[in-house]
Amino acid sequence: MIYAGIDAGSRAIKVVLFDDENGQIVASGMADQGIAQEALAKELLEKLLHQRQLPTGSVAKIVATGYGRNIIGFAHKTVTEITCHAAGVHHAVPEARTIIEIGGQDSKAISLKVDGTVQDFSMNDRCAAGTGRFLEVVATRLTVDLYTLGELSGRSRNPAAISSMCVVFAETEIIGLLAAGVEPEDIASGVQAAIAARVGTMAGRKIEPPVAFTGGVALIPGMAGALEKVLKQPVSVPADPQMTGALGAALLAARI
Amino acid sequence: MNDRPRMISLSEWDDRYKELSDAGLKEPAYGGPLSRHVDDGDLRLRALRFDNSAAALRLWNFLLTEEDRLSAARASGKKLVGTMKDLGTVPVIAYSSPELVAFYPDGAWWIPCVMELGAGLLGIADSLGIDESFCPVRAMLGAFATEAHFPIPDLLICSVGATCDDFSAIAQRLASLGHSIAWWEAPARRKPDPGEESITLPGGFRAAVDQVDFMKSELQRLRRIIEKEAGSKIDDSALCAGIKAANGVRRILAELRLTVFRAAAAPLPALEMLIAEMLAIHFCSDRTESALVLQGLLDEACARQAAGVGVLPVDAVRVFWVNPVADLRVMNLLEKCGGRICGSEFLFSHALDEIPEDLPPMDALARMALADPMIGGAEDRADRVCADIELFGAEALLISRIPGASHCATEGQVIGDRVRSRLGIPVQEIEVPPVSDSLLPTLSTRIEALVETVLQRRKK
Repeated sequence: MIYAGIDAGSRAIKVVLFDDENGQIVASGMADQGIAQEALAKELLEKLLHQRQLPTGSVAKIVATGYGRNIIGFAHKTVTEITCHAAGVHHAVPEARTIIEIGGQDSKAISLKVDGTVQDFSMNDRCAAGTGRFLEVVATRLTVDLYTLGELSGRSRNPAAISSMCVVFAETEIIGLLAAGVEPEDIASGVQAAIAARVGTMAGRKIEPPVAFTGGVALIPGMAGALEKVLKQPVSVPADPQMTGALGAALLAARI
Repeated sequence: MNDRPRMISLSEWDDRYKELSDAGLKEPAYGGPLSRHVDDGDLRLRALRFDNSAAALRLWNFLLTEEDRLSAARASGKKLVGTMKDLGTVPVIAYSSPELVAFYPDGAWWIPCVMELGAGLLGIADSLGIDESFCPVRAMLGAFATEAHFPIPDLLICSVGATCDDFSAIAQRLASLGHSIAWWEAPARRKPDPGEESITLPGGFRAAVDQVDFMKSELQRLRRIIEKEAGSKIDDSALCAGIKAANGVRRILAELRLTVFRAAAAPLPALEMLIAEMLAIHFCSDRTESALVLQGLLDEACARQAAGVGVLPVDAVRVFWVNPVADLRVMNLLEKCGGRICGSEFLFSHALDEIPEDLPPMDALARMALADPMIGGAEDRADRVCADIELFGAEALLISRIPGASHCATEGQVIGDRVRSRLGIPVQEIEVPPVSDSLLPTLSTRIEALVETVLQRRKK
């Protein structure tokens, strides 16, 4: 049987098709988020089914997660992204005991039990300082894309100190740093360190290893390293870290 | 008891009211259909879901007619005492005089929510330099400025010291506008030094005798001020009677909490329980009626429990709630997300404990006042939260922060860490502004995830 997981996130919609008989991901895809979230999700789902030459009715159950989960009316069930990321990461990295997930507008620290269920979790507040949004703002200011921003950070020799914990004020700070002649790579590295510090504070003092880092921000070069420095332990990034929420949703769909 | 306990909308209450009236509902003078309060500007009622019992209707009508009661009291010649930043002790003294009615101007902090910002009270506070970096209780400034939400009290009393920095600043601004305030000092409750003479307070904490004596001297000073306003002495026998009556309210509330929080199926919703608990600290301007309202709720809860019915499914996740919410709608959200209230600590747990009746009254009140969670450390609150979680069998903890409030910057972390380490249950912290509509998806995610976490635990 094929099960679908839809992660309607703040920046992108992700869909995973999972075959529970062979335990394999059949297909996965991502599309930019928009206003008509349900239509976008349906379009992406149908596109994936078409690619795999699967009929529309071949999906047994669908679970929707993410901020837009309640808008996906054709889903059989909604589950929060905390539970879905836990299920997805446990499938991909069974030994993981802590998940750091940084998405477009929020970040989470999830502690897992041995069986992969959620022990406890914490999320960032309304402030965007520990999220992908922070990187987007900086990338725009430095006129580079997010991936290039990450590459830039790898070339830093003297990371800038970003003292502000507010994205809006940090942007002002960055303008000041640029005016002072600070190199963009040092600013990029400083911003990554600031995000990692914010997430580290949110995660708290007791972080049980191994740590898995997921969410779209995990794809950005340098971010995992910045987290390792703050958490003082290795951080692994599973394959397709931006898809773990959708994967978890598909896995949970198979348990309905 | 209602045949089918459930939570209903305001418009559904109109039908329900007719049904109850047709069946011979007997109401107090302040009774009537709930929707009439919307005409007074209480727009938030349209977004809430309410318990469908006659007892809950009485509770809401009692709450939403306080202004009328205060005006009637003044018209009858009674003096009004505004007891600010005191969660439960000074009202006991004031109500010991038949000439006085005490109320709680701080309660204005809910007006921006109930009126969906329509009264402009926060804007007035802004204009007075008390901006959104302060607790929503700053709405009280607007209520005093407009004189539209309660009569201006004849006597204003406010505690300072180890209470709340925000409130001190707000009350000082109020004083600067010409409102004379009788200030009293509430010391920070500390652990007694080794060998220092100490006393056990209601709630189980210990305090140095020196601190109790200081608190007593402050309350004695207030007693004289209150007597002057009343125009007559409040002797010890009147105070004892006042304490006894306050304990009567507290006993009913304690039984209500125990009944509701420990029942298999929640007999009453979280929102009504929050409102009910608030009655303990100020009696909503009528101590006798408070007791009747709470007794009605208790009777309803007991009847529902005996019948094995509730307003929520029996498998609803049992959540302990810390701190009151600025937006009442979020109490409904708990239930919408699959939770139920199973214990609470709304910053005035001392007002739920009985005042000792075997002590001289001022000694008893001093001990009570010193047991206030807001003047003790967050660790003390955490200990009580842990004890109550175990008593009520809660499966998760939700800590609600109040934007701008400065009771203790780290209280959430202190309480959360202690509950995690001692009880091993999941904890989540949320922040709730007076109108949280735009944040509901975010808040829902957190509460739903908390519920899901507990449900996963149950499967093991």
